[in-house]
Order: sequence, then C-alpha cells, then structure tokens
Amino acid sequence: MWRYVLKRLVGLVVVVFFVLTIAFVIVRLAPGDPAALLLGPDATAADAASLRERLGLERPIFLQYLAFLGGAVTGDLGQSIFFNQPVTQVLAQRAEPTVFLALFSLLFAVMIAAPIGIYAAYRRGSFLDQGAVSLAMLAASVPSFWTGLLFQRYLATDLGWFPSSGYGGPDAGFLERMRHLMLPSLVLGIVNSALILRFTRASMLDVLGEDYIRTARSKGMGEARVILRHALKNAAIPIVTVVGLTFALLVSGAVVTERVFNLPGMGNLVVNSVLRRDYPVIQGTLIVVATLYVAINLAVDLLYAVIDRRVKY
Amino acid sequence: MRTFRLMAAATLLMGTAIAGPALSQTSLDIAIIGEPQSLDPMMSTQDVVSIVTQHFVETLYTFDSSWNVAPLLAESLPEISADGKTYLIRLRDGITFHDGSAMDSADVVASLERWKTQATRGKGVADRIEAITAVDPLTVQISLNAPYAPLLSLLAFSNSAAAVYPQEVLGETLGAIVGTGPYRLVDHKPDQYIQLARFDGYKPRSEPASGTAGARAALVDELRFVPVPDANTRVEGLLSGQFDYADGLPVEAYDRIAASDAADPVLLDGFGWPVWAINHKAGLLTNRDIRKALQAALPFDDMMFAAFGDDKFFATEAAMYPEGWPWHVTNGTELYNINDPARAAEYLKAAGYDGTPLRILTSRQYEFHFKMAEVAKIALEAAGFTVDMNVVDWATLGQQRNDPALWDIYITHSPFLPEPALTDLYFSTSRLGWANSEKDAVLAAFTTETDTAKRLDLFGQLQGYLMDDVGFIKTGSFAALQGQRKGLTGVNLSPWPAFWNAARP
Repeated sequence: MWRYVLKRLVGLVVVVFFVLTIAFVIVRLAPGDPAALLLGPDATAADAASLRERLGLERPIFLQYLAFLGGAVTGDLGQSIFFNQPVTQVLAQRAEPTVFLALFSLLFAVMIAAPIGIYAAYRRGSFLDQGAVSLAMLAASVPSFWTGLLFQRYLATDLGWFPSSGYGGPDAGFLERMRHLMLPSLVLGIVNSALILRFTRASMLDVLGEDYIRTARSKGMGEARVILRHALKNAAIPIVTVVGLTFALLVSGAVVTERVFNLPGMGNLVVNSVLRRDYPVIQGTLIVVATLYVAINLAVDLLYAVIDRRVKY
Repeated sequence: MRTFRLMAAATLLMGTAIAGPALSQTSLDIAIIGEPQSLDPMMSTQDVVSIVTQHFVETLYTFDSSWNVAPLLAESLPEISADGKTYLIRLRDGITFHDGSAMDSADVVASLERWKTQATRGKGVADRIEAITAVDPLTVQISLNAPYAPLLSLLAFSNSAAAVYPQEVLGETLGAIVGTGPYRLVDHKPDQYIQLARFDGYKPRSEPASGTAGARAALVDELRFVPVPDANTRVEGLLSGQFDYADGLPVEAYDRIAASDAADPVLLDGFGWPVWAINHKAGLLTNRDIRKALQAALPFDDMMFAAFGDDKFFATEAAMYPEGWPWHVTNGTELYNINDPARAAEYLKAAGYDGTPLRILTSRQYEFHFKMAEVAKIALEAAGFTVDMNVVDWATLGQQRNDPALWDIYITHSPFLPEPALTDLYFSTSRLGWANSEKDAVLAAFTTETDTAKRLDLFGQLQGYLMDDVGFIKTGSFAALQGQRKGLTGVNLSPWPAFWNAARP
C-alpha cells in the first residue's frame, strides 16, 4: 500500500514538473506585454520597457526559468506582476470560493444524480427511466454559461431568491459568502449530474442482474435493502470514480461559471491572469491545479480499497 | 421526489433565509469594468483607475461641468507671469491627509517631482519644466523654459494624475495609499471590492459642486467599487438591486434597464470617439495618396451603425469635439464620410498601389472595434484595397502596436478629453509618428499660446491638417451606457463618474 502511494507521489512530482515547464514556456510564447497592460493605453513604449526591466522580464528566458524552478522547489511560486503579492498568497485567497463551489456543486450533482440513476436502473425501460436518460443528455449538452445566464436572470434578478453575482461585500460572514455560492453551485450541479446519473444507472443495471441479487430477493429481503445495501455497494466503484473525476474538474476551476457569477475563485483568476499576462499567477495556478488533480485521483484510487476489500495495492 | 423537495427547500433556505450582511447605514455598491491596475492614479492611464482613485486622491486642479479648469487643492487658479513661464500656485490652508498630517508645499513639490519623472503624462511635460519650488509652506512655483498652455489641464487630469501625496510615502511605488479626498481607502480585496469610507477630516471647498469641482460632501458612509468584468453580470447586478451604479453597460441592455422598476439607464452622449490610428512610420500608409484613398473609401455611417446598432448611441460627425464643447470647430469636416469607392480608386491609382495588403490590427475586447473593421473591410475591398485583418486579444494589440513593422492601422477609442493637447496622437512623438512640418508648427503654437480665442483658431487649423493629411481617423462619436438605481441622486455623470455628492433614495 505505502509502496504504491510512494510510487504515485513520485509520479505526481514528474507530472508537476512537466506542467510547470510547459506552463512557463506557453505563457511566454503568447504575445502581449504585462508591463504595457499595467501602465495603461497611453503609456509609451519606453515606459513599458522600463517597467519590464524592473519586473525582471528582460532577463534571458533560461535564467527566468531557473529562478522560477528554484523558487517552486521551495514553495515560492514568485510574485504576481499585477497584484504585487506572492502568488501563493493570491492563490490562498482564491481557494475558499473554488473549493466550496466544487463541494456544493458535487453535493447538488450527487443529490440529483444518485436517486434518479438508481431508480432509473431499478425501473429499467419505464417512463421515468427514459425521462431520466433524456434529461441527463439535455443537462450534459446545454452549456453551463447558458444555464448560468438563465438562472441568474430569472432566479436572481427577477425572483430575487439568490444574489446575482459576487462573493459578498466587506461585511459578509461565512454564511453570507456561502449564500453567494448557492446559485452557481446549482448550475454546476445540474450540468455535472448528467455523467454521474448515467454512470450510476449503468453500474446499477450491471449489478441488478447478478445472481447474488436474485439470491437476496429469494431470501425475502426487502427491496430497499437489496438495492441500497447489496446492489449500490457493489456498483459504487465506477460511481466513486466519476464523482472523484468530477470533483477534480470542479476544483480545477469552473472557469465559465465563476466568470458568469463573478466569483473570485481560481477559474476566474486564471482567465484574468491570462488577459493581464500575469505570468507567475498563470504558472502558479496551473501547478496547483495539476497537483490537486493528481492528488484527488490518487485519493479516489485509495478509496477503492476502502469500498471493496478485494482491492489490494 | 422527497429528496428533490428537501434539496429545493435547502437551496432556497440558503438563498433567502440567511440574513443578509449587516450593511452600514449608507453605502453605495458600484460595479466597475474590472480590477484597477493600480490604486496610484499617477502610475496608470486606465480610466477605471481614475474612476476609483479620484475619491481618495486629489490634484491641485480639476474640471468643472463645462470642462474648465478649476481649483481643488489649490486655493485658486494660479498666477501666471506675463511671459507665461511662471505659475505661482497658492495652496489651501488646513488640508489634511488621511494619515492626519497637514498638506504643505513640500508635499506638493515632492509629488509633482515624482509625477514629472514617473507618470506618463508628467514625463511628457518634464522637458519644459525648469523647476518646481516651495516658495513658502503654502505656495508652490512652477517655472517653465517656454510657455505651455496645456499645463493646467495636465495638472487637473485624473488620468496619469499629478496627485498630491504626503512626501513620506513617495517612492517608486507608494509606501501607502494616503490622499486628501473625501473618502479614504479602508480595504482592498483584489477582484472582489475596494472599500472606501468617509474621511471625517475632509475639508470641502465652499463653491457649489460643478463637475468634479466645488464642494465634495461625502454623503454616504461607504463606497464599494466592485470589479465585474462581464458586462451582462453588471446588468443583472444593477437590475437585481445588488449594485447602485454600474459602469460600461452594453447598449443592447438599454431597453431592458429603461423598462425595469429597479434602475434607470444613464446615457452619456458624446462620451468618446473610435480612432483608426494610422502608421506614419512604416508601411503602406506612409503614402499620403493611400491615406486619402482610405479616407475616401470608408463608409462611416455604415461602420458606426454596425458598431452601435441604434442612432441613440452614436453620431456620424467629423469634428474632433461635438457641438456644445468649447473646442468644437468645423475645419476640414467636408472630407469626412465621402464614401466614394471611385474616388478612392483614383487615389490608389495615383499612388501606384500594387495590392500590398492593408493590415488592420484590431481586437474583440471592444466588440464595436471589430464590427467597424468588418464593415470597413468590405468597402475598402470594393475600392481596390487588399485588406488583411489581424484580430488579436487586447494584450497582444497593446504589444504589437508598439512595433511599426506589424500594422498599418490599429483600432482604439478615447473619451473626449477636456484639452486637445492631452491627445498624444497629434504629436509626431506618439507611436503613430505623424510628422508634418506645417501641422507641427501649428501644434507648437497651440501648446504655447495662452489666449483662449487664439488657441481655438489654432485648433481649427490643426483639425484641418488632420483631415487633409489624414493623420488619424475619427470615425464618429459614441455614447456610453451606464445605469443607476432609481432615485439615486448627485452622481457626477461623466466618463469618470464620481460619487462624493451621491445620495441613495
């Protein structure tokens, strides 16, 4: 087990190194000058050149890379050009909305998908099953920004049930900030429920045809117990896999939804940083996202052993 | 289904039942188009920086509602020597910074020195300034080596501003954001909000408010500027009552805002002008005949209509300042909106045009730039041009326009600035490099002349040269759409809206 974890952690380091290098190269290949953007439209080329010099952007690219690599090894991801703050500090400020948005969205997605998926499999071929499959297709095919705009207009602006955007003002406490996450979480929950629903249904269908389910029923066991205790538990591995992947994707930054709802999370940060050509923040965000993605996948793999004792590492 | 009901109930509970934030008694939430690049207005020429910082940082002068220069931290307009080279500026007594220290001439001299050496606009005037000296604790003298008429406007402008700070905080970057404005900076969470609170030590001027001049009352306790990069999100926030004011709204939202019970549209007529900036340093348009062909071929009516969709939001007018502005002159306007492909083709023939592509550098950051270019491309091709549209993001445009080898035209826009000399495109030193000996002589006279009537005449000549030599192209004038909560009063409506005299209903 520990050997396996160690092997995966080494793999994580390799992945992060590649992401770090690719991110460094790609952001610098893109045209655009962070100094000119900082100074505004009427700044002269000389002003921009002078600021670039001060920001260290005129140094040879290889030296910049070495400095970045050296810093990253010690946990220093550099200084944001735009915010003039350490990148780790900028990222820490964005972690809360992104993590909670991902958690709430996943919660909504599972609350929508699991009962419908299980019931659809149980009543295979019924009207509800066909309806659930169609709804899942619809949810998967409608872009999240469109759902977001509709929900924002009708549920927030017209009905006033939710704040229309943002993450609360200066006085906002924790609950108020969470209140601002409800509508975007609902949007993401609906969009992401489609895949979970389909996996739940398919996995349950496989298990419900097994002999031990028939045996359980022939022993006179109640249907609820058969479905939830025997079938669901054995169908859980694919469901956990897709739930884990969904969570990893959500934590990686729900870019469009954060944009529509003006949430100060990592997705919005990375978009703004690309527009501002804030190289250190783009690099830092990509490293953190890659690390999280690999770590969540590792956690899901380890969870298999908990769910199914037959799985050994 | 029970699960669904529970979930819906929980969601609504979170959405509605939790008490909202304990708001201070009076505050204004203002949606701005993005995070300001800096909170030091000296170091940026971005409008959004001016909009926010003018509430806590002040300048010696400002503009009244007719765009005349008026005193702000200065006691009165300066005493200018007969030769126009010496400006004696008396400062107001009893002005304190937000840190409690008193403003004196040493602070002003140190601030102006920093402006002269570090601010884009300050550096532009630095070679004309001989000395900035403190005459006594409340008097400053600026000595020039030659008269320079736009100096006062430069000192009044909130963009790349000659802001006054305590000398203790001055450096390449500010030690702290400390100003003299009616509001002080309390908190700044990047991409979330900039929180300002009323500065109790503020000493307002006694004159009635006019533009950004006169009394500044700080009627609400707090101002909160909220960066909202997505225009649609600003609209929804305004209509849902989340924002009291929203800047930079899409014109398509006008009817919806007008029909709402929550907000009113604010249409700023004659807000700004789209510019086709012409490369005079290299490439196709260094040839005057090809520039004339471009001018003759462009269909300004169609371009402006495509860009803004409704004549409520634009005007096809050639004059560099619309009617009603003190700088409105009509010289050369007959050369605007010719829209004659045959005449353009004649110019191209005279130029010996060989089909080299005309490179138009534009972006979709501002959709109206792109729409204008799309329409123009068809007209230019009909006149015989080969057109190469280079559509990039705004950051790339900002970089590429600094290299004259990469473009013939780039598209941008500008608000109408209170003083023509603040528009650097007229100067041969700008990135356009428009050099014309006759124009340059008129421009030099314009910047040194101090008599208003003579300056207007000179500006007329300058506009004439602009049209005749096609220095750059103003495609028309456009209005800007902002929006405010119903019943909100006292906002100074301008490209840089100010809220110190605003009151909530």
